[in-house]
Amino acid sequence: MAANFWTSSHYKQLLDQEEVDVVQPLDKEKGITLEDFKHIKMHMANYIWKLAHQVKVRQRVVATAVTYMRRVYTRKSMTEYDPRLVAPTCLYLASKAEESTVQARLLVFYLKKLYTDEKYRYDRYEIKDILEMEMKILEALNYYLVVFHPYRALSQLLQDANLNDISMTQLTWGLLNDTYRMDLILVHAPHLIALACIYIASVLREKDTTAWFEELRVDMNVVKNISMEILDFYENHRMITDDRIIAAFSKLNLKP
Amino acid sequence: MGDTNSNNGNNTNTNNKKPEWLQQYDLLGKIGEGTYGLVFLARIKSSTNRGKSIAIKKFKQSKDGDGVSPTAIREIMLLREISHENVVKLVNVHINHVDMSLYLAFDYAEHDLYEIIRHHRDKVNHSISSYTVKSFLWQLLNGLNYLHSNWIIHRDLKPSNILVMGEGDEQGVVKIADFGLARIYQAPLKTLSDNGVVVTIWYRAPELLLGAKHYTSAVDMWAVGCIFAELLTLKPLFQGAEVKATPNPFQLDQLDKIFKVLGHPTLEKWPTLAHLPHWHQDVQHIQGHKYDNTGLNTVVHLPTKSAAYDLLSKMLEYDPRKRITAAQALEHEYFRSDPLPGRNALVSPNADKVVNYPTRPVDRTTDFEGTTSLQPSQPVSSGNAVSGSIPGAHGGTLRSGPRQMPVGGMQRMQPQAMQAYNNLASQPGMGSGMNPGGMPMQRGLPNQGHQQQQVRRKDSGMGMTGYPPQQKSRR
Repeated sequence: MAANFWTSSHYKQLLDQEEVDVVQPLDKEKGITLEDFKHIKMHMANYIWKLAHQVKVRQRVVATAVTYMRRVYTRKSMTEYDPRLVAPTCLYLASKAEESTVQARLLVFYLKKLYTDEKYRYDRYEIKDILEMEMKILEALNYYLVVFHPYRALSQLLQDANLNDISMTQLTWGLLNDTYRMDLILVHAPHLIALACIYIASVLREKDTTAWFEELRVDMNVVKNISMEILDFYENHRMITDDRIIAAFSKLNLKP
Repeated sequence: MGDTNSNNGNNTNTNNKKPEWLQQYDLLGKIGEGTYGLVFLARIKSSTNRGKSIAIKKFKQSKDGDGVSPTAIREIMLLREISHENVVKLVNVHINHVDMSLYLAFDYAEHDLYEIIRHHRDKVNHSISSYTVKSFLWQLLNGLNYLHSNWIIHRDLKPSNILVMGEGDEQGVVKIADFGLARIYQAPLKTLSDNGVVVTIWYRAPELLLGAKHYTSAVDMWAVGCIFAELLTLKPLFQGAEVKATPNPFQLDQLDKIFKVLGHPTLEKWPTLAHLPHWHQDVQHIQGHKYDNTGLNTVVHLPTKSAAYDLLSKMLEYDPRKRITAAQALEHEYFRSDPLPGRNALVSPNADKVVNYPTRPVDRTTDFEGTTSLQPSQPVSSGNAVSGSIPGAHGGTLRSGPRQMPVGGMQRMQPQAMQAYNNLASQPGMGSGMNPGGMPMQRGLPNQGHQQQQVRRKDSGMGMTGYPPQQKSRR
């Protein structure tokens, strides 16, 4: 169903973390570790973000594109599905699915424009490659294209908790954007991710939300676990240097 | 569609050979054509579904070098998520990587309301039985209520998009098809009117004709009203002449046809009328001449006191906010009075007479590549009703012969029980979204359990198709 999360393909496709954290055999052979795998996906998410900023599409398109990319790599190897092509193509497909179509040639134009400040070059590919990859991605996604994001839930929940001031809105929104650098969207229902962001923000801003959380009929343990994951990510993020990302990419040993 | 991709990962390198997925079908021929591509009729070869008919919609690679067409994306996206007895079923998606074409396979439907209406008008020369009209309408509303409950607006309802199953265990079941223009309308990124005018002009709601930007599921209900009237009279209710221009030309003649029958809309009855762009832009014409009273009852030959007339006039309510919703319409008195609607709309439980509708013409000379062979084997019409050819003696070897119309096993349909969600607050992720028109929409899942059919495998001639539109809508 298109508008009900609990009957959607998104809900049915949620995975356990262990299922997401599987490096495809072909990549493993090349020495890609789970950490490398995560770093590359994070780098791709960042890149999709930058590219989206250039072509001026909204946050929801970016979020859908990143979700597509993460879903693809639960089934396909980076060896066969070159991240440099998958990243822009996911944005291309997401722009169609979210009714904000971006022309392929415009996308390629910005790929080339962006490369100068990229540590890792995404500009190897042409329009034709993107169009071919679009079909491969459709297939890899098993034609499931509807994605539910936590953004709407977030603003509704903030309002409900009476926390929708600018400071909280900005903080939680930023936290939520950052969750797309992780695989949370593949594992957890969107409203739980939104709640985790609110939980973290209310601790940081010293807002007492205990009573409000208690009234919600959600498993607080799950919310706290997601929050911990997000905080862990920030903690580790400082250690992820460009060198490590380049090292991970170079293991893939993709064609120049 | 769980088995969708079992075998299409390995057909990439088959160049001139028939792709593996295609080998699971026997291609019978072309049954339709649209701007997006072609529609084919095929049979499944595999033992589990042997002989089952499938309509395969082939999307061409768009010419502007922009990959899979957004129409195909929209259709796949929605049909992958939804499942309802009165909505066409997408059985498979295939990709041919060699020529970059995309194929959607649907259960095949032998009939559609366009052909059924035409058959009655031009061939048998008598009206459609009231049982059949009521059953069509009930099922159409049932499917639409499901879509609207899920925040999907179809946007292009017209008789040719309302399919009816041919013989087999789903005989006479209505299927809403062609979701190429359908939209999920929770939190749209662009205003809905941004991507072009939709809805074939004769079925287009007055708020769209007057330039409304944010329209609602009520536009589908207007179209249902027009279809209802057409089922009754066998003639399109508002047959305006379309102004061809881009973008969004003002369709004065269409509005005029509507005003003539329903009378002029007034600000008292339709307060938001004042905000519609064309209401102001074309004061001279629109507000200029006045048609006073409604002649709807005379046009459709219904007594004003009848339940049918009451329902129809509520569907053709000018103000989209006051227009009856699909959920409300299903509860209407019309469906509670005799004859009660049934699942097999083509065969009434106490039928004395059964209409034999023609089967779709099949162009057997065209292959999947769209190339036409040199030895035409059958009288050919260019597809479905598009050409205006009469499918009387058509593509015939296949399913001519008189049809068996089983009369047993009919069941009365219960008005659908809606399962209300009462725990929304605790499940904020689940699509409690905006409703642009402020329509009293029901949320949650229609309870489909009681009407879900077990699929028996022995049927041979039935099917469904996502089937091309007759009149091209603007995209």
